[in-house]
Order: sequence, then C-alpha cells, then structure tokens
Amino acid sequence: MKEEFLLGNGAIAIGLLEAGCQIMTSYPGTPSSEILPEVVRFSKAANLNTGIEWSVNEKVAFDNAFAAAISGKRAACCMKMVGLNVAADSFMSAAYIGNIGGLVIISCDDPGPHSSQTEQDSRMMARLGKVPVFDPSSPEEARAMIKTAFDLSEEFEVPVLVRPAIRICHARQNIKYDKFETNLTKADFKKEPTRWASTPKFRFIQHKALNEKHIKISEKFSSLTPYNTHNIAKGINYPFGVVTGGVPSSVIKDLFEEYERDDIPVLKLGAPYPFPEKLADEFMDACDKVLVIEETDTVIEYMLRDKQKTLGRLSGHVPMEGELLPEKIEGILNKALSDCKTAPLSDYDSGMEAFSLVGGLELPIRKPTLCPGCPHRSSFYSIRKALPKAIFTSDIGCYTLGSNLGVVDTVLDMGAGITMASGFWNAYIQDDVKKPIVATMGDSTFFHSGTTGLINAVYNNSRFILVILDNYITAMTGMQPAITQGDRVDGSKGNPIALETIVKGCGVEYIKVVDPYDTKNMISVVKEAYEHVNDPDGGIAVVIARHPCVIGFKDAAIPEKFEVKVTDECNDCGFCHQRFECPALYRDEKTEMTQINPVLCVQCGVCLQICPQGAIVIA
Amino acid sequence: MKTVNFVLSGLGGQGILFMTKIFATTALNKGYNILGAETHGMAQRGGSVVSHLRIGDARSSLIRAGAADFLISMDESESYRYLPYLKKGGKLFANAPSNAFPDERVAAFLDRMQIEPFAMEASKTAMDLGSPKSTNLAMIAFYSAFGVGPLSADDLRATVDDISPGPFKEKNLKIFDTCHETGRKMV
Repeated sequence: MKEEFLLGNGAIAIGLLEAGCQIMTSYPGTPSSEILPEVVRFSKAANLNTGIEWSVNEKVAFDNAFAAAISGKRAACCMKMVGLNVAADSFMSAAYIGNIGGLVIISCDDPGPHSSQTEQDSRMMARLGKVPVFDPSSPEEARAMIKTAFDLSEEFEVPVLVRPAIRICHARQNIKYDKFETNLTKADFKKEPTRWASTPKFRFIQHKALNEKHIKISEKFSSLTPYNTHNIAKGINYPFGVVTGGVPSSVIKDLFEEYERDDIPVLKLGAPYPFPEKLADEFMDACDKVLVIEETDTVIEYMLRDKQKTLGRLSGHVPMEGELLPEKIEGILNKALSDCKTAPLSDYDSGMEAFSLVGGLELPIRKPTLCPGCPHRSSFYSIRKALPKAIFTSDIGCYTLGSNLGVVDTVLDMGAGITMASGFWNAYIQDDVKKPIVATMGDSTFFHSGTTGLINAVYNNSRFILVILDNYITAMTGMQPAITQGDRVDGSKGNPIALETIVKGCGVEYIKVVDPYDTKNMISVVKEAYEHVNDPDGGIAVVIARHPCVIGFKDAAIPEKFEVKVTDECNDCGFCHQRFECPALYRDEKTEMTQINPVLCVQCGVCLQICPQGAIVIA
Repeated sequence: MKTVNFVLSGLGGQGILFMTKIFATTALNKGYNILGAETHGMAQRGGSVVSHLRIGDARSSLIRAGAADFLISMDESESYRYLPYLKKGGKLFANAPSNAFPDERVAAFLDRMQIEPFAMEASKTAMDLGSPKSTNLAMIAFYSAFGVGPLSADDLRATVDDISPGPFKEKNLKIFDTCHETGRKMV
C-alpha cells in the first residue's frame, strides 16, 4: 500500500487505472491537464500497457476513445469543459450509438472562472447529449466514481461523463493506493452498420432505446449511495432542507458539522442526471422548503420542478455567476435559513469587514503577465512596432496575455485568431477598406484548430498576416510536448510535423521564419509580409516566430546571456513598461527611473533593443 | 482532531508549492489526513499565489474566510491580501521587517480579532545566506519557532532534511536553523 499527497487529477488517474482503463486520450486544458501525465506515471510504475496519447484536439481525443470503446475496450478521454464544446459533435451522437467497453469522458469545470473563458456547467452538456453524469465532491470520491462510471457505462452501453470541478482537480488529498487492474480485453470490433453507422431512421430507434435506458438509470441513481443520498428520517417533516452536489456538498457538510446543525437534512446528488426522481421526491415531500446549492448552473434546480418549495438561483438566493466559495455558501445559508424562519448558522458577515479593509489598502494589482524572457513578448513588441494600426486577433494560450501590450484585440475560442481575421477582412473589404489585420496563434492552438480556418481564408481570398508563435511546447497548461518536436506523452518518439509543411499545404505561399529575440529583423519581416498581403497578386502571409519557451527549456532557450543595467540616460518615459512589460523591469519610486530586478531577470537581453533612450545597456 | 487550517501566500516564483509540500509531507508522516487547494494555469501567471492546507478530517479543500488558524506569507502585501481568511485568535506570520509590521491601517483590526502578528525579513536572511530563492524555507522555519499547530519544529526540520536534494541539504538546513532561531528570540 502506498500513500501520496496527490492532486485530484492524480486521484482520478488512479481511479482510471483501478478501473482497468486501457485507452486514454486527452488534450490539455486547465484544470484537466495533469490527469493524463499522472496516468502515464502510474501506468509506467506498474508496468501496465495502457495506450495513452495527447491528441491534437478534444474531438480527436473523443473519437479515438470512442472507437476503442466500441471495440470492447475500456477507454477514457479527458479535457477541460470548453474542450467538450470542441468534442460536442461526437459527444451528442455517442449516447445514441452507445458503446461496448466502458467509455468515460472527464470534463473538468472551472467555476470562477480561474483559467477559462466561461463558467459553463458540464452537467448541462450531459443533459443535452443525454449522457449520464457524475459530480465528485472530493478527490477520493472522484477516484471511486470513475470505477462506478465504467461499470455503469458497460451495463447500459452508454458513455458516462464525470465532471470534476477545479476544486477537485487542483485540490490535494492524501490518497492510499495499491494494485491496479490489469485489463487484457482484446480489440474485437463486431460489424453492425445499423448501429455503428446508423442512418436517421435507426437514430430514431436508438433515441427511443436511449430514453428507456435513462428511466432505468434514473431508478438506479435513486439508490446509488453514497453518491446519491439523503439523511431524512422517516415520518418527520422538516421546515428547511438543502439539495446539493459536487464541491459545494463538501463545504456544506463541513459547515453543518462545525455548527452542529443536524436539524437540516441534506440531499446530495453526486449523480444528478438522469435525475434520481424517486430519491428527490422523498426529500421534497419531507421538506417545506429546500435550498439548492450547486455549481455553476441550475441543473438540479430545474429538475426539481417545484417552484413554490425551491430556493436557489431562480429565487435570487444563490448568485448566478462565480465560484461558490465556502464563505459565500455560509452567507447564502444564513440568508435562506432566516427567510425560512429557521435559526441561521452564524451571524458571520462572510468576511465583509475584513475584505473591505483589505480593499482599502490599495495593495499592488498583480495582473497576469508573460514571464521574463518570454519570446511572445518580443513578438508582440515587434508586431506592434511594424503595424501599430492593425486589428490584432488572437487566441487561447499564454499569448492571450499580449492584451497587456495592446496587441490582442479579440479572443473568442481556439482557432478564432485566424477565423476572425478573415471575418474582419470580409467585413471591411465589403466597404472597399483594406484593413491591416495581424492574427497571433500558438503552435499547439494552430494544430488544434488553426488549419480549417486558414484553408478557408486562403480559398476565399482573405488577406491578413498570421504570426504563429512557435515555442516548441504547450506552455500555459503545463509544458506538454509539441507536435513539431514529435515527442509523445510517455517519452517515446512520434513523428514530428513541421509547421511550414502544414502552412504550405493550406495554400499559403508567403512563409517566413524568424527568431523573435531579434526584434529588428522581426519588425522588418512583418512589414514585408504586409506588402505581400497588400499586393494584388499576393495573399495571406504567415510569419513563424520561433523561439523555445523559457520556462519549458530553461537555459537552452537563452543561448547567450546578457547581464543588463539601466544608465542615467533613463528619462522615466515608461515606454518599456507599457510596450514591453517585462516583470524584471520596474520603476524605482525613489530614483524615478527604471531598474532591473536581478532575481526575476533571465538575461535574455531583448530589452537592450527596446529603450528609446538606449538607457538599457550591458552591465 | 479538530481541523487545523493553514493559508500560505506569496508571489509567483517564491516556491509556494514547495512550501506546501514541506507542511503536507510532515503531516503525512505524522499520520494526519490532509487536504489542500492550489493555483494553476492562467491564475498562476498573476503574481499573487495562495495555497490552502487543511490538516484533519475536513471535506472541502478550500478554507472559509474567517476560518484559518495560521496565515504564513512570503510577501508583506500578500499577507494583507489574505487577512480575511484568518479566524479570531489566528496567527499571522509575514516576510516583513519586524519593527515596521503590521501596517498601522490593519493594526486595530488585528487587535479586535485577537490576531497576533509576527514578522521577520525572510527574503533578506535567505539572500544573506546565499539562497535568494529560499524565502519559503525561511518562513516555515520562522513559523516553527512558535510551537503552534500540530507540526513540531523537529518534524518540519526532518522533512526539510529528508526532501532537500543532496547539494542543497546543508544550505537548506542552515536557513532553517537560522530562521528558527530568529523566531525563538521573539517567543
């Protein structure tokens, strides 16, 4: 027996291997990214033959896992919740068609949001795709639920979704584990075109069969302790009860224990869909009022259906947005209990006084920023220098932080850096305006969903510059290996694919590769690229700004180090702070000059190129 | 055991995860259950980082505002930012000059909440001892001098000894002993 202080994502990895998961695919995204590497670690240590890959995007990951599952193997794919949007086309069909080996999809939610574009609730997606869903309340429970999810998936031949929220994924807990299941099921795809390639007529039949499965699963979920359970005593009527699930259910248990409130019954729904009607009815019948506390949408609240009895988001008791932090939940409970003429937990003000005191201190605002030495910073600096009046469309990754440098005007979703660039072009050219447009996109995002938009733009004769920020790695989500290098997640070598080849294959004729650390060269290349864009015989221009990530590749990313200092020539113009914003450059209030923080400086030397006064020099 | 709640705060790059690991490993060695909550991804690039650590049998990984027993911060501003997490009677440990801490604007609040503040110049000490990146160790050692909470100074030191890689062991233990001693003088 081993014990580790594991991330929730590590606990999920253990759950996957304990359940005998044979095939595991994923695309990284906070807060899901550590699941796959943890599966690799445990699988290697136990000498398991688990098939594991970083897929190019979430839809690809899904389809790969799906094929394994209909071959009879246990398969899983994991992603962040917006990744499930990318996989949604497959996801919506999967439950109709069903599977043979268990298929578990793990979609990690980000209430807050801390590191995402939305606060969407994957349980809603489960409802839309008619996929049963589990909502763990702790890392340990997430691990156990994975096994249950696989069993359910095989029993009913439906995919099952597990949606750990960020406070599961990035919680840590001491987890004991022992041996993993060795699952030796061989791939054995049995042809059945009416099922695996069903036409609309058969889809109708499959839909009906799925609905019948749901009735059975709902019954099963009504007695699925300890995930779905309540503590109502028979024959007793309660003035107030709480319905909850997932992370908030843990907070509520802690609160009721701390304040010794065993008078308030709780219905916990860790498997809320298909809705356990019978269990919910028992609870509702015994309570005069219930308060629903769930993250982040109104899934359980809508399914309870009793408007008169139910308090929650729709009654204004629970905020419609934001993470349900423990102090918020305490405040929500106090208010609802008082409204229902029941003693509140406390007279605690949810830290209002302390938070307003801290708010008044004017503490430094620490907005997210690119790392010292980041090659993206140099790229953004050069792009803005070359084409200050352009529209800058961008994308999802570290380089979203280029917004601080005034070089990111739009961020919609993965791939939109390119598709919105062509959209802007079309909108302006209709008015005979040739608008300069520069799209930025990272290498991993380009592979994920850049090519379709680029092919479309070339085909339809849109004009813009695309700068692919190639740092050899997927940095924001924790340094996953890049396709351009060909490294696979288990350390084995795959087949590297050059960006240039793909860009050329998309029909782009102008392709230039630059090192963004040389800003002078990059500025002139971007200007030259714009001439190509403007040339009637030209077209889309692609500049590949190639330099390794300084975090991922450390010293290898900075082959030549420059110790720099600021001379008295500094006239406090602020240019370096606004346009370059390196965390190692700071304004000294006493001297009213820029200074270098030697602890943060990585000695990349790029700042030597940017000071208009030439006040940054080699020390 | 009643759950004991630690909020650790600081700046990106100061090694808050390593700090968490020292506390957690020590607790694990003592046989306690532990829960923690960390910051990753975009939020990590923000400068202000916080880690919650709960020793005992709690279920939620997050500590409620007003419920932390200890706030240990590697930066003065970041110690104020997370003040609302401390409970009445909690203890505050910050990397700040002891003669100018706390800021007079929070002193009355701390008094009313019976929160005891303790400060030492941990970064400076770490720098003087030749390990500018060891503010995290310095703060653990400083905290350990006050004998509060379920983890003793000897246990914490043993963990530092155990998990410091060879070339850093001696330096790390020196920082630990020096900062522990600084704290002892304030007890």
